[in-house]
Formats: sequence, C-alpha cells, structure tokens
Amino acid sequence: MLDDILHIFYPREYTLSNGKVVKEKFNWTPYITIIVIVLSLLSAKICGVKLSVLSQRGNQFFVMLKQMFPPNWSFWKDVQKPMIDTIVMSLLGTAFGCLLALPVSFYLSNNFKFNKYYMAIHRGLLSVLRTLPTMIYASLISLVIGTGTLAGTISIAIFTYTICVKMLYEQIETIDMGPYEAMESTGASRIKCMINAAYPQVRGYFWSTVLYCFETNVRSAAILGYVGAGGIGVQINTQLRWRAYANTGLMLFVLVVTVVVIETISREIRKKLVQG
Amino acid sequence: MTTKEYTVESQLKKFPSLVPRYLIEIAGVAIIYLLSNYTLDFSSINQKGLKIAVAALKGLVNPSIDLITRLDSSGLLYMLMETLAIAFLGTIIGIVLALPLAFLASRNIAPKWVNYICLTIISIIRAFPAFMYGIMFVRVTSLGAFAGVLTMAVSSIGMLAKLLIEAIEDMNPGIVEALDASGCSPFEKIRYGMIPQLSSNIVSIVIYRLDINVKNASILGVVGAGGIGASLIFSIGKQAWGEVGAMLLGLVVLVLVLEYFSTRIRKKLAVGE
Repeated sequence: MLDDILHIFYPREYTLSNGKVVKEKFNWTPYITIIVIVLSLLSAKICGVKLSVLSQRGNQFFVMLKQMFPPNWSFWKDVQKPMIDTIVMSLLGTAFGCLLALPVSFYLSNNFKFNKYYMAIHRGLLSVLRTLPTMIYASLISLVIGTGTLAGTISIAIFTYTICVKMLYEQIETIDMGPYEAMESTGASRIKCMINAAYPQVRGYFWSTVLYCFETNVRSAAILGYVGAGGIGVQINTQLRWRAYANTGLMLFVLVVTVVVIETISREIRKKLVQG
Repeated sequence: MTTKEYTVESQLKKFPSLVPRYLIEIAGVAIIYLLSNYTLDFSSINQKGLKIAVAALKGLVNPSIDLITRLDSSGLLYMLMETLAIAFLGTIIGIVLALPLAFLASRNIAPKWVNYICLTIISIIRAFPAFMYGIMFVRVTSLGAFAGVLTMAVSSIGMLAKLLIEAIEDMNPGIVEALDASGCSPFEKIRYGMIPQLSSNIVSIVIYRLDINVKNASILGVVGAGGIGASLIFSIGKQAWGEVGAMLLGLVVLVLVLEYFSTRIRKKLAVGE
C-alpha cells in the first residue's frame, strides 16, 4: 500500500523474463499538482481568504441582488443618455483606433520589407502599451483633458489601436504574396499594390476584428465612468453611493441587455465574414 | 462559333461599380461626425491639462525608487505579489467551478436538456461585467483581496467554460469506445480515456486565463477589491507621478514576463515536447 503511494512520485521498474529492466515513463503531474496546491494555499494566505466569512456573510451577495431585482423603471429617463454615451464612446473609440491601425499594421508586418529597426521599436512599444487596461489610460487622460466622454473615447481608441494592430499584422503576415508581386511587376506603386492586392485578402478579417474590438470595448467602457471618463459608470457609481439599489438594478439590466444584444449580432456577422 | 473577346475594356467593365462602396463610406463618416457632435464635449480641455501632462510624463520616466525598494506591505513588490496571488487563486477556483459546468454542457457527455440548463447558467454568469461582481463581493467580504479572488473566480467561469466545452467536444470518442469495449468501468474510462486527452488543453486554458486575469486585476482596485489597482488610482488622483511611474513599470514588467512564459508553455503544450 505504502509502496503504491510512493510510486506515484517515481516510476516503477519491471524486470522482464529475459532479465531486461523496463522503466515506466516519468510523470510530472503529481509534482505540478503539489506545487499548484502549495501556491494556492500561499495565495489564500496573502489574500486573507477566510471561508468562515463566506459561510456567514455569503447571503449578502443575494441580498444585494434581491434589492436590485424589481428595477426602478421610472429611472429609465436618467439612464438613456449615459447608456447611449457609453455605446457611442466605444463606437467612436473603435472606429478611430481601427482606422489608425489598418495602415500601421501593413507597415509593421514583415512581408513588405519596411525598416526593420523602426518595426521592432514600434512593435515593442505596442506590446508594452497592450499590458495596460483601458481604465488606466482613462484615469490618466481624464486628468489631462478633463473628465467626460472625450477622455473615454481617446483611451478606448488607444487600447483598440494596440490590440487591433497586433491582430492585423499577424493576419497580414499569412497572406498570399503572389497577387502583390504580380501587381508590383506591372509597375504599380507600393501603396496601390497594398490596397488592391494585399488588403482584399484581409478585408473580412479586418471587419471581424473591428466588430470584436467594439464588442469588448462596450463591455469595458462601463467601468470607465468610475475614473471620470463618462458613460454609464458615472451613474452606477453615484447610485451605489446613495445605496439606490433599485436604480442600479435598472442600469445593470440595461447594460447587460445591450452587451448581450451587441455581442449576439456581432458574433453572427463575424461568423459570416470569416466564412465568406 | 463566336469567340469571346478578352480585351482590357471588357474586363474593366466586369469590375463591380464602386458607387455603393463610396456611398457606404460617406455614410459612415457622416454618422461618426454626427455621433461625435452629440456625445463628445471638447470644452473641458484647458491649459491646466498641459501642465499635468508634462508633470505626468516627467514622473513616468522617473519612477519612485523608494516605492520599488520598499519591502513591507506598502511597497511595490508586495502589491505585485498580491495582484498575482489574486489572479492565481481566482483562476484556480474558476477552473474548479468551470470544469463540472463545462462537462455537463458538452454534447458528447450529458443529455441535451442538461446541456441546455448549463449553457444558460454559463451565459447568465458571463453577461454581468466583472466590476459588478466586484461591487457585490466587496459587500460580502468587505474591502480587500478576498473580494478580488471571488470576483476573478466568478468572472473567469464564462470564458474558461467556453474554451473547455470546445476542448471536450473535440475529444476523440474512439478511445473511450475502445475502453468501453474492453470492459472498463466508468472511472477507468475517465482516468485513461478522457483525462490524458484533456489535461494539456486544460493546463493551456488555465495559463491563458491567468494571463488575462493578471491584466484585469488592476481594474478590481477601482471597486476596492484589492490588488495594485486601488493604490494606482489613488496615486493618480493625488498626482504623485513618481509612484504612478513605479507602479506602471512594475505592472508592465509583471504582465510581459507572464505573457512570455505563458506563450512558451502553451506552445510547448500544443506542439508536444
């Protein structure tokens, strides 16, 4: 029995009838499992996880949901404008970010032989910028240009730009360069070749990327109001401070419905775009 | 017999008219212009912003050394460790919750009505934005990292389950059938037929989500659910740009290092050693 347990950690050896010794394959799984468990316990200690809190006060989660549940429908008038603001903010941010990203991503993909050093620097800068969420841009920008939807739009545009460029140049690097070379051999300029021979190959992917960015941006735009960048987050923050949970419930309901509707539509369109 | 003439002119005429495309483009620009008129407010820009921008840039390139080298609980290293711990534990709890849901939602494991119920649960969980869970859990556990862990766990269920369902439905049914034919018990079928097929996929999914969760952990600070986010927003608020620079530097380095390792491990898992 003890031997069986110990053999979890190191492989068994069998001696065959002809005297040959055969070893089982070494298995990392038990070690990884132990490491994960130890790390989890350590993290639990750092984060101050107490299961007793969960069992005592866990019902508070549902208490809050219950307070939100019959949403205050008369609050609808005050929700309308910030909700539209949130959608427009993400729409404009996505539009500006993606429009800027399209030419740049051609410049940054390595099958067109542009300046190598510039490319490496720009790509490195983008991967650094990509690590920061939209909210941090928003909190910085809203200090500089003042709170409001403009700050939100700009920060969404920056974030969209950083992820859209990466998704696009990875796709552009996989295109068939035949049409491009054929067109170049007829004497067309480089830009004309890109527009007419390279871009049509990634057009569907580009629009699907735009929709994907819009989808994620609507989701993340809701929180921007917390740091003063306009949209529905401002209202949610205020109503929560006043403990007006019924109003918050309505806003949450509207937000969830909007996100789900936008996601469903965009997913259907994207499916069509990718399949052609 | 008529011969078709392939002249440049006839081919050019075949090219579809560009008028509808131009019309769509003009309409798009017009819509963007109108929307920006309706929503964007440029009046908030003033001279003070420029000064703040200059000060911010100065601070961002001169991160506060004091904050980086401090080792107690107000130092940068502790904050990063806490962020990492929140993301790690959140992802682990998330996958533990997501696994049974994903199995029950896969068409090749459970009957159809069970699939339907589980998929509905998953999409309901997914529909709420993460910060909303943060607000609710802060009320349960009071401010702190524990709320962050719970938020991370619940908000990662949606994506984890979705990726897991894909992996489970992609499984080769032949292996399980072969084990069935040789008379294996259900437990043996799971142990030798399913787990070996899924384990690398599951690890890869967990690492991928861990990467995303570390990135998102800074958002949680806004609602008071622990991590580096709260101190970051606080420092931005009081315009202590040296501290902001140090924290952003730490965050960027942490995410980049994690991204590098996660990509390498996932590539290895996908290709095989």
